[in-house]
Amino acid sequence: MPVIGIPVEDLRRRIGREMAQDDLLVLLGDLGCDVEGLAVLERRQCVQCGFVMELAGKEEVPLSCDQCQAELRGNPGAVRELRSLEVVRMELLAVRPDMFDPAGLARAIRGWLSVETGPVRYAIGPPAATVRVDPSVRRSTSWRPHIACAIVEGVAFDEDSIKVLMKLQENLHWALGRNRKHASIGVYDLDSLQERERFEYLTEDPETFRFLPLGSTETTAAKAPNLQTILEEHPKGRAYAGLLEGFDRYPILRSATGEVLSMPPIINSEATRVHQGSTRLFIDVTGTGSRIANRTLNILVTSLLDYHRTARLRAVTLEGATPPDTDGREGATTTLVSPDLSAQTVYIDAGRTSRLLGIDTPPAELRLLLERMRHEVQQEDGTRLRVEVPAYRNDILHERDLMEDAAIAFGYRNIPRTLVPSLTVGGDLPATRRAESVRAVLTGLGFIEVMTLLLTSPEQSDRLLGFEGHPASVVLANPISNEQTQLRTSLLPGLLWTLARNRHNPLPQEVFEVAEVTFLEAPGSAQPGQGPAADTGAAERLHAGFAQIAAKTGFAEARALLEAVVRELGWPLRLRAADLPCFITGRCAVVLGPNDVVSGVVGEVHPRLLEVLGLQNPAIAAEVCIDGPPWALRSFPEVS
Amino acid sequence: MSKALPPEQARVLEGLKPGARERVPEVAERLGMDQAQVAAAAVTLHAEGWIEVEEEPYREWVLAEDARDQLGEGIPERRILRALLAHGGAGTMAELPAWSGLDAKQVGQSLRGLQARGWASKEGAALRATPAGQSAAEVPGEDERALEFLLDSAQKDGIRRVDEGALIGAGIDVERARALLGTKNPFCEVRDKTHRWLCLTEAGAAFRSAGVESRREVSQITPELLVSGEWRNVDFKPYDVNLPTEPRYPGKTHPLQRVIERTRKAFLEMGFEEAVSPYVESGFWDFDALFQPQDHPAREMQDTFYVRTPGRSPLPPDAAMVDRVRRTHEDGGDTGSVGWRYRWDPKKAEQNVLRTHTTATTIRALAANPRGPRKVFSIGRVFRRETIDYKHLPIFYQVDGIIIDEGASLSSLMGTLGAFYESMGFDKFIFRPGFFPYTEPSLEVFIWHEEKQDWFEMGGSGIFRPEVTEPLGCTEPVLAWGLGLDRLAMLLYDRQDIRDLYLSDLEWLRKEPRCR
Repeated sequence: MPVIGIPVEDLRRRIGREMAQDDLLVLLGDLGCDVEGLAVLERRQCVQCGFVMELAGKEEVPLSCDQCQAELRGNPGAVRELRSLEVVRMELLAVRPDMFDPAGLARAIRGWLSVETGPVRYAIGPPAATVRVDPSVRRSTSWRPHIACAIVEGVAFDEDSIKVLMKLQENLHWALGRNRKHASIGVYDLDSLQERERFEYLTEDPETFRFLPLGSTETTAAKAPNLQTILEEHPKGRAYAGLLEGFDRYPILRSATGEVLSMPPIINSEATRVHQGSTRLFIDVTGTGSRIANRTLNILVTSLLDYHRTARLRAVTLEGATPPDTDGREGATTTLVSPDLSAQTVYIDAGRTSRLLGIDTPPAELRLLLERMRHEVQQEDGTRLRVEVPAYRNDILHERDLMEDAAIAFGYRNIPRTLVPSLTVGGDLPATRRAESVRAVLTGLGFIEVMTLLLTSPEQSDRLLGFEGHPASVVLANPISNEQTQLRTSLLPGLLWTLARNRHNPLPQEVFEVAEVTFLEAPGSAQPGQGPAADTGAAERLHAGFAQIAAKTGFAEARALLEAVVRELGWPLRLRAADLPCFITGRCAVVLGPNDVVSGVVGEVHPRLLEVLGLQNPAIAAEVCIDGPPWALRSFPEVS
Repeated sequence: MSKALPPEQARVLEGLKPGARERVPEVAERLGMDQAQVAAAAVTLHAEGWIEVEEEPYREWVLAEDARDQLGEGIPERRILRALLAHGGAGTMAELPAWSGLDAKQVGQSLRGLQARGWASKEGAALRATPAGQSAAEVPGEDERALEFLLDSAQKDGIRRVDEGALIGAGIDVERARALLGTKNPFCEVRDKTHRWLCLTEAGAAFRSAGVESRREVSQITPELLVSGEWRNVDFKPYDVNLPTEPRYPGKTHPLQRVIERTRKAFLEMGFEEAVSPYVESGFWDFDALFQPQDHPAREMQDTFYVRTPGRSPLPPDAAMVDRVRRTHEDGGDTGSVGWRYRWDPKKAEQNVLRTHTTATTIRALAANPRGPRKVFSIGRVFRRETIDYKHLPIFYQVDGIIIDEGASLSSLMGTLGAFYESMGFDKFIFRPGFFPYTEPSLEVFIWHEEKQDWFEMGGSGIFRPEVTEPLGCTEPVLAWGLGLDRLAMLLYDRQDIRDLYLSDLEWLRKEPRCR
C-alpha cells in the first residue's frame, strides 16, 4: 500500500487547535489512519521545470527530472534546494480518499475534535464552459464513456500547494482510479488556452493526430509526436499503454478550436501545464463508470476548495454525455451539469446502532456523533435519522457504514469490552483429534515435528520419489517460481529435504510431520474409502509421515516405529511387501488399513535418493493416511 | 561422635603423624597407597577442617625415555663443535653430516643453538668455530650439565623426574640451562608442579581420637549390592553437580504447532466449534460471497494464486442464493445497500484459487447453517502470491472465527478478541478502526510486546456487512475475524525471520523451550 507524507505544520495549522505531536499521532490512529511515524523530507526543485522532489532519508536526487527529463544528478546547477519538511507518514487508507491531502484530512479531524461539525457547504457557480461529448467515446474500440468536469477559479499556488495537488491526483489515480483504469484526472491552466468556454471530448486517429505532451521541450507544433509515438516513447505512455490496448482511436480532450488539453488516461499537453502563476483550473476526470469518475472529481474539487480559501467553483455543462450508471453501449445521451456535489441520503436507526455497537446512542447522541463525522443529520420520527452524506465520501453504501462512522466518532477505545450473552458448546473435529494423538505418539518416540511449505514442484517431489509427476496434483496457473508450482501430494519429500538441510546437525535425526496433502477429486464423488467430496475438484487428506537418519538404522527400525504409530491408532499392523523406487527393493512394504485399503508405506530410503540429498548415512521413512476410516494413500500412483 | 569415612580418607586421617608436615608422596609411600588416592582424600579432609593442606609450587624436570640413546655422543651442537675442531675449525654445511654423524636436517636445526652458545658462526656456506667455541671444547654448558645430572639420577635410581631444587643443589644455573634447551627440545621437559604438604589440625586430631569408622564407597549401585543388603554398609561416591552432562532433548511439537494448539484450546473453551474447508477454493466462496467486488485488487493475478487444474468450480447448487449474491454486488439487492454498481460475472466466481483467507471456511460454515447462536472457528493455511522474504511467505496460518448471535456487537467483538489474546499471554492490546470489504464496522487488533516496546498488528476483524450475511440467509449480526498465527509465533518465540518457522532447523527445534 502506498505511503503518504502529510506536512505536519500545514496540518496543525489547518486543524486550528493546539495539540501535542504525540496526541496528533494517536488521534490519526483513532480515525483509522495507519500511521508509520514522523519523518523529515529533504526537498529539491528542478530548475528547468519547477518540479519538486521529496527525498526521504538517504535518498539521492533522481538521475533525471520526473516531469521534464532534465538530467539532474551530477549537474549542480540543475536543482535548487528548498527547505526541508516534517511529515507524518501513513499508509493510504484506500476507503477514505477524502483524507489523502492536508485539507481533506484536516476537515475530518476538525469534525472529530468538534472544532467544526456538520457539513462544509461548497457553492457552485453557474456553468462557465461546455464540453461536447462525442459519441465515439462509447464505441467498443475507443471506449471511455464517462467524463466529469469542473472549473476552479482563484487559486494561488506556491511550490508546496502545487506538490499537494499533484500528489493528491496521483493517489486518487491509485485508490479510486485503479491506476487510471477506472478514472484518470487532468488538471489544466485554463488561461493557457485561447478558447476557454467550448471543449470537446472525442477520439482521434493514433497515426495522424499530434500534440506536445507534458515534459516535451519541443515548441514547434509541427514537430509534435503522433499519439502512437507518445504511447510508445513517453514514460507515461509506456506505463499506461495497456489501458488503450485494442483501441483503434484514442480519447482526446481539446478546446473547440483544437487546442489539446490531454489524451486521457495517458498524458496532458505541455501547453496547459499548471504552474505557480496559474489561477484558473480546468479539471476533468474520465473513466469507465460514472460513479467513480464523479466521486474522484468531487474529492479533488472539495479538497482544492478547502486548501485554497480564495477559490471558487464553477460548473461545466456536458452535452451529449453518457447517462450515469450506464456503460454507454445503448447509445443514449443526456446533458449534465458537472460537478454533482449533491449529498447522498441514507437513513440510520439509533436503536439498531446502539445494539450493533454495544453502546448507548440515543438519537440526539447519534446525531452529534455523525455531525462530528461531517454529515448533515436530521432527526425524523422516533429513533430514525436522515443523514446527508457529503459528496466526497466514497465509502457509504449502507446504514451500516454510518454505524461505523458513529463508532469512530465515539472512539473505539471508549467502547467497553463484553462477551456475547448466549452459551454455546464447543467441539473440535475427529481429524484434529487424530492428528493430536499421532503427534503425541511420535513426540513420545523422541521425534521432532517439522512444518514444511506445501507448495512444491515435480522436480522436488515426484521425481525425488522416482516417478514422473503425480496425475492427481493441483497445479497453479500463476506460480511465483519453478520450485512452487503445485500442492504437495506426499509428506515424504518435505521430510527428506529437511534431513538434507540439517546435514550440519548431529545424528541421529528423527523428524515427523502431520499435515494435509491435496489431491484432485471429481466433484461430488463421495465413494466409501475414496475421501471427502470436494465441490472445487480437489480436497485435502490428513497424513502423518516420519523419517530418521542415523549411523545405523534400517527396515526393522522403520517397521517398529510404524507399528507403534499404527498400534496407537487402534489398527492391527498388516504389511505387504512392495517395491517403490524411493525405497530399497526388499526393504519396503505397504500398510493395509483395517478395511484392506493401502493406507501407508514404509521402507529404507534408496541410496539414489540419499545421494541426491547429499546424505551419507542410512535413512528410513514412512507415510500413512490417518484421515477417514482410513482412506487410501494416494501419494504413490503405482500402489494406489 | 564418630563418623564413618570412606576407607581412603580414614587411612590418611589415621596415618598422619601428629604435629608433622608431610608431602603427599611421602604419605602415600608410608601408607602404601596411590598418590592420587591420597590427594583426593586430602581434598575432602581439608574441606572438613581436619587437615591443613599447604601448597608450594616447584618445577619438575622430566627426562625423555629415549634421552640416553639420543645423548650417547652429546647434544647435536656439541657433536658439530667437536667435528669442526677435528677438521681445523671450519667446514661447509655439506661436509658436516659426514663429520658429525648427524643428518643434514639435524645440522640445520642446530645452527641457532650453536650461535646462541657462541660456539660457531656461519659465513656463507661455511661454519667456523669461534674462539669461544675453541675454549668450550672441553667445558660442558649448563644445559649439558643439567642433562648429565638427569641421566645420572635415572641411571642410579631409575627415576626420570627430578625436582629442580636438586639441580640447583648441584650448582647448576637452571635459568641458563632452561634458556639453552628451549621448550621444544627432545631430551627433557620442565613442568610447573605443586607440592602438597599435609598436616593434621587440632580438629582432625580430636575427631580422630573419637575413633574413625571406615566405609566402602561405591559409584554404581548393582543388583548384588541390593540383593545382599550390602548397600547399607557403603557410601555412594558424590558427583560434582556442576560437571556438564551430555544434553538430552525430548521429542517436541513444532513451536508454530504449539501456538496453533493454544489457539484451538482458547476457542474451544469459549464454546466454538471447529470447521475446515478445501485449500482449492472457488472465487465464489473466497471473494464473491464476501461482497468483494470482482475487480478488487486482491483478486488480481498479481496477488492471488489461481489454479490451472482444477481450474473451475461449479457455482453452489442453491441458485436462488447465488442470484441474491449477484444482485447484492450489482445494486445492493434486498439489503438496502447501493451495491458496487457493476455487472457481476458468474465465470469469475467459478474460477478456482488457493484460498486467500480462512474466512472462506467460516463463510461456508455460515452459509451451511446461518442460524444463531453459533460460534465457529477454523485454523488453517492460506495462500498469498508473495515473494519470499523475512516478512513474507506465500503460505501462512490464520485463525478465523465467527459468532452468529442476535446480541452480538462491536463491544462483544472486542471482548472476545481480548479474551483470546489474554489467553495467549498478552494483556495489553488496542483496537483501531480498520477497513475491509466484507466487515462494517471493522477493526484492527494491535498487541503490545513488552520486550520489544512496540505495538504489533495481529489481524483484521469486524461485523460482517449485511451485503455478506443477508444473501446467505442470515439476519443476525455476525462477528468475524482473521488473525495471523505466524506473526504471533514469531513474537512468542522471538524469531525475526518468518522463514525460520518453515526451515526446520533441528538445532532450533531441539533447543527451543516448550514454555515461552
